[in-house]
Amino acid sequence: MAHIKVQRRSMRPEEWIQLRFGWLKRHIYSEKNEITTFMIKDARQVSEMNFEFYDEEFRPLKKGDMYFTPDGTAFIEADYELPAHLEGKKYCFSLKTAAEMIVKVNGVYVGGIDPNRERLNLSDYAEGRKLHFEIMGYNRSKPDDERNPESLSVRGCRQIFEGGYISVVNEAVQSLVYDIEMLLDAALSEVFNEDFSAMVIRGLDAALNLIDFDDLRDEDVIAASKYIDENIFANKDYKGSGNVALVAHSHLDIAYYWRRIHAVQKNLRTVLIQLRLMDKYPDFKYAHTQAYTYETVEKYYPEIFEELKKRIAEGRFEPVGAMYVEPDCNVPACESLIRQCLYGQSYFREKFGLTVNNCWLPDVFGNSWILPQILKKSGVDYFVSNKMSTWNDTNRFPHNNFIWKGIDGSEVYACVPPTHFITWNMPSQVQENWEAYQDKNEGGQTLQMFGYGDGGSGATEEMVELMHRFEKLSVMPKTEHTTGSEFLKKNFDGNDKLATWDGELYLEMHRGTFTTKSKMKAYNRKLEFMLRDAELLSVLRMKNGKEYPAEKLREIYKKLMINQFHDILPGSHITPVYRDAMADYEQMEKDLAEIIGGGTKYLNTLNFKRKSVTFIPDKNGNIIRKGEKGYYTIPDIFALSSGQIEPAKGGTDWISVNGNNVETPLYSIKFAPDGSILSLRDKELCREWVKGDFNKLKMYHDTPGNYDAWDILPNYKDRPCEIAVKKPLEFIMADGECAEFSVTLATEKSEWQMIIRLFRDSRGIEIENIVDWNEKHKLVKAEYGCNVLSRELVCDTSAGIIRRETHRNTSWQQARFEVCHHKWCDMAEQGGGVALINEGKYGVSAEGSTMALSLLRATIRPDPTSDMGTHNFCYMIYPHAGDAVSADINKTAFEYNVPLRKADVECALPDFGKLWLQAVKLSENGKYIVVRLCEQNGERGVVELPEKAAVLNMLEDEIGESDKIEYSPFEIITLGFRM
Amino acid sequence: MEKYINEYIRPRLQGDGGEITFVKQEGDEVTVLLQGECSKCLILDRCLAWIEQRVEADRGEKVKIIGIRKKPYFQDV
Repeated sequence: MAHIKVQRRSMRPEEWIQLRFGWLKRHIYSEKNEITTFMIKDARQVSEMNFEFYDEEFRPLKKGDMYFTPDGTAFIEADYELPAHLEGKKYCFSLKTAAEMIVKVNGVYVGGIDPNRERLNLSDYAEGRKLHFEIMGYNRSKPDDERNPESLSVRGCRQIFEGGYISVVNEAVQSLVYDIEMLLDAALSEVFNEDFSAMVIRGLDAALNLIDFDDLRDEDVIAASKYIDENIFANKDYKGSGNVALVAHSHLDIAYYWRRIHAVQKNLRTVLIQLRLMDKYPDFKYAHTQAYTYETVEKYYPEIFEELKKRIAEGRFEPVGAMYVEPDCNVPACESLIRQCLYGQSYFREKFGLTVNNCWLPDVFGNSWILPQILKKSGVDYFVSNKMSTWNDTNRFPHNNFIWKGIDGSEVYACVPPTHFITWNMPSQVQENWEAYQDKNEGGQTLQMFGYGDGGSGATEEMVELMHRFEKLSVMPKTEHTTGSEFLKKNFDGNDKLATWDGELYLEMHRGTFTTKSKMKAYNRKLEFMLRDAELLSVLRMKNGKEYPAEKLREIYKKLMINQFHDILPGSHITPVYRDAMADYEQMEKDLAEIIGGGTKYLNTLNFKRKSVTFIPDKNGNIIRKGEKGYYTIPDIFALSSGQIEPAKGGTDWISVNGNNVETPLYSIKFAPDGSILSLRDKELCREWVKGDFNKLKMYHDTPGNYDAWDILPNYKDRPCEIAVKKPLEFIMADGECAEFSVTLATEKSEWQMIIRLFRDSRGIEIENIVDWNEKHKLVKAEYGCNVLSRELVCDTSAGIIRRETHRNTSWQQARFEVCHHKWCDMAEQGGGVALINEGKYGVSAEGSTMALSLLRATIRPDPTSDMGTHNFCYMIYPHAGDAVSADINKTAFEYNVPLRKADVECALPDFGKLWLQAVKLSENGKYIVVRLCEQNGERGVVELPEKAAVLNMLEDEIGESDKIEYSPFEIITLGFRM
Repeated sequence: MEKYINEYIRPRLQGDGGEITFVKQEGDEVTVLLQGECSKCLILDRCLAWIEQRVEADRGEKVKIIGIRKKPYFQDV
């Protein structure tokens, strides 16, 4: 017998209310006059302010016509004569669209229209009856915010024009609509008391009974509003608790499902909309991040920039986030993050006279432990990021308002708001925030950001109107509309009850972003070191009278920083964004190579003597590495000194090969045909390094679901894939220093050649990978099962080391199955260990005594072409005595990543002892040679300077003077030597 | 036609998070594979009609574009 589910078919009271609410909304406009003179030109944006047009001429645009094209921008114009009866009255421009439009009337930017708002106030900005419209519209298949169901329903690259109107708003109806919107959300959300919901439903039903929808009259609407005031809002029997700070904000991805060039107008529209809200609502305040976005307004829309400056001066438009963009905070190295602050703060200081005291990164995919020190020394006391509370897939992050202690012991106040950074300011969202807030007793208010975002847009009139009504709803928590900095100061300063989180802010999600788009990561690493050397060499040449290319270096740094944005460098973007980034990287590399220049001698730009085997490019060399001819040698060049280099002399008798058994002065090695190492016997330390699969390439099905480019899920290990040996390991060649072996592996679609290099005088074993990669949803790792008893993986953070447990005892360790590291990671026991040193790989996993470097992924969303094609990358296995610190693995990793530069310059810099010379540059004000030093091993010590130097913060402000540096573990020190 | 689809149309669809690949042409029927955002677009027919218009405007050919959608496994519900 078939089971028939009993369903209620009659209309519930709340459904009857919703039906009538829909009818009421049809009366928001008391008058609509269609503009029938629209003309349109379809275009495609090709740079920040340039467009390619499909046709030279405008064509008429009528209601019902198709408009917009894929990746399309449209320019729409109209001339319209205002009806005489509207002159001197309130009227607006209304246009329902899926596109993002910037509207200019009679030469004035009057506002923005997009899927989140369909009208703008016109009468306050346009003079006279003759109105000339200039609209620039940009249409995306992916709307600003996929959380807005109305946006989703109209997505698509070809849209139907629904007409544009000069309209008059019926303020009584509009006000009632806002009342009902708020009350329905509260009553139907299930987060408030059910008796309260029942009371609201009864009250709304009764209020709407006062309106005759066949003949809607203003007095009935006013009566319904009065009924709500007197019967719902006046009812204070239902008491809420809590205290929620409301900060208006719009999240703007500089690139994501759109290119960087499009963000210029996305940002302008967002800024414009918020400025117009400020015109209407004197209490409205708004927080906006990223100095870069302010720069684009200043550069391209100076009249809006002037308006913006006035609102900033009033304290209503609030620059938040000290950084230049909202960067990824896993992959960029320490100096990049410092520059994000330096260039961000320099801009805010110069243009607005402000030092922004917070770091505002709502969407960033986890935060390195090195950040607190960088922030603190860049004038930043507060850190804000929503990700850990709202996106962790395993553990609930235990705090919302707390103190974050960094790797060196520096502390910043940290706010990880309990809910998402994109909300639309509904009572239920405010209540959910308070309920999820974990520091109710210690933390003061909880932070709620409101405003549409991802692609900008921000707060709407509706959000502000609802906010003005919140105090009428006794069941809600107390709310306060405030700025970001006011909220932070009020709730954190002097609050001694706050808990402390000492460690990285690891995001238990998006673990694939350490690996996705492999080439971008490698380029980022390479350019970070090229920038270091370009600045260093420019300072040295300046001492010999050459001009320091300050402007050019700043321009390159800013381009690198833009590409470190959290949806660019992590790889979570569409195909054209990748193309833009690669074009930028190629240009930066060329520009930096020009600045670095050439010479007859090799300069060691490291502040320690090189002792590791190094590849020297030479067209007469007998080895090809990453497509370049050269040879390997151990350069005998002291710190910051120049010298000549010759290939190692001597024969090949240092190596003997017998099938897959190889003898070198340091090792007895037994290879498997697939290039993995079955035994690596250390002759010097008399021990075996291999236990399990070692140097074994492993491929897995990598199917994380919707967040394809972002995530690796722990279940990848459940489905390994076969990799066949196409050409087994064979000995290729040897010279006086290096011997090469080659193996070719293959799947049905891809081919993977591994060149294994052994050295006469180095413990390092280099693996070069030449890959033709054509997979889908695969992850490849190089696995190393080490014969060490270790329960921790030591990882380079770029500014010190972090130790992570390799057991799976608790859910916290289980969740960290894939982590971010920088140049190296290491597993060691007392007496020895194995390091993996890379040139641009960031993802690594470790369990027990096995570590696995993530090499390549093959994701299809957002970019179906992600990582396809050829790859060529190297890394080095480095067994060593002692632990990573005593074995100087960090120095070896610097040597591996920073090539010798050909340059004929005299290097007259002091000896900074064990400290890493992280940067040498001309200060932004041109008064100092800035020297940045970083303690990277966790040691304490003293360095005597040859002369007194200014002690600077990271913004290059002088904070003291000294001729002696007393440093502590992982401290970063900035000195200024006067010119 | 393959070059036109791959070099002219493709970057425009990629700009919207979509992906198009030429599959075959038989007479006046051109078959293309649609991935990315295109694969789940609710109004894809409008875009295919636009491609037909562009082909006619740029190449003087009247063709019918047949689109094959290939949704990612995680969106194929």
